[in-house]
Amino acid sequence: MSDKHRVTRRQFLNYALTGVGGFMAAGTLMPMLRFAFDPILKEEAGTDMVAVADVKEITTEPKRFDFKVKVKDAWYESEEPRSAWVYKDEKGEIVALSPICKHLGCTVDWNTDKEHPNQFFCPCHYGRYTKDGTNVPGTPPQAPLDRYEYKVKDGKLYLGKAKPRGEA
Amino acid sequence: MKWIAADVEIYAKEKDYIDTALISLIPITIADGAKAAASGGEFVQLIVNEAERQLKGRVFLFPPFAYFANEQREGLVQRLGHWTRQLMEDGMKHVFYVTCDDAWKEYETQLSGRLWIVPAVPLQNMDESYKHEIVRDQTSRLLNFFISQWS
Repeated sequence: MSDKHRVTRRQFLNYALTGVGGFMAAGTLMPMLRFAFDPILKEEAGTDMVAVADVKEITTEPKRFDFKVKVKDAWYESEEPRSAWVYKDEKGEIVALSPICKHLGCTVDWNTDKEHPNQFFCPCHYGRYTKDGTNVPGTPPQAPLDRYEYKVKDGKLYLGKAKPRGEA
Repeated sequence: MKWIAADVEIYAKEKDYIDTALISLIPITIADGAKAAASGGEFVQLIVNEAERQLKGRVFLFPPFAYFANEQREGLVQRLGHWTRQLMEDGMKHVFYVTCDDAWKEYETQLSGRLWIVPAVPLQNMDESYKHEIVRDQTSRLLNFFISQWS
């Protein structure tokens, strides 16, 4: 071995100190940096859109997904359960319908009335809606089901507010 | 519908459609069996609230009918009978009771509404998703019971 490659005791200690010191500095600095950048790294959709399902799970058959939203009611903040009927229409576009009956607010079900298959059915007063949410004339509801605002990001479906059809 | 001003307002307008009263029967004690009673009551409340959410256009959820676990059953049957008669007189067509207290089973024939007893479940020791599963399952049984009674 030549002299060049010899590490002296002084050099070795220097290297060791820099190495260990570096780790220690990183240990204290990392959390600080993380705190500083936290607002930027926050999930974009976190504010009003809620991740509900994987897009893969959505078929042409309406499927019910349950999720939770934060609701502020007077001084009391709580998580409220919500549901959505989600499917893909003929054009392959996602449709997310609110299950809240436009009559008096019961939860409608898909395809449960044997006499009227492939419709949304409200068990309370036998209101019916076609697959796209249009109310069937002659049944109690006077308006189509609300539609959720939605967006797809990283293969996940995010739902926002439910809006009356025409607005969403 | 819940027992809150906003819902009562809707009820006043839509009386014809809202014809089902839902009352939870909640036993109270702070002596022996307090924990079981409380957990049963909690479970019943979860179920009736979820049932109300899903059938809010036809079901009116009343504040609980609460009583001490050692109260005389005869007196309770009478008081509950009074509630029920009054509700029927005021336009309700169906009255349902939901309880975790299976002592009611014996008195079922003396009640003018329909009784639904939920099983005792130790919710406290369960993880969240399993808890949801159980509440959802029990609720859907209850809803099917309602729907079968309606038609």
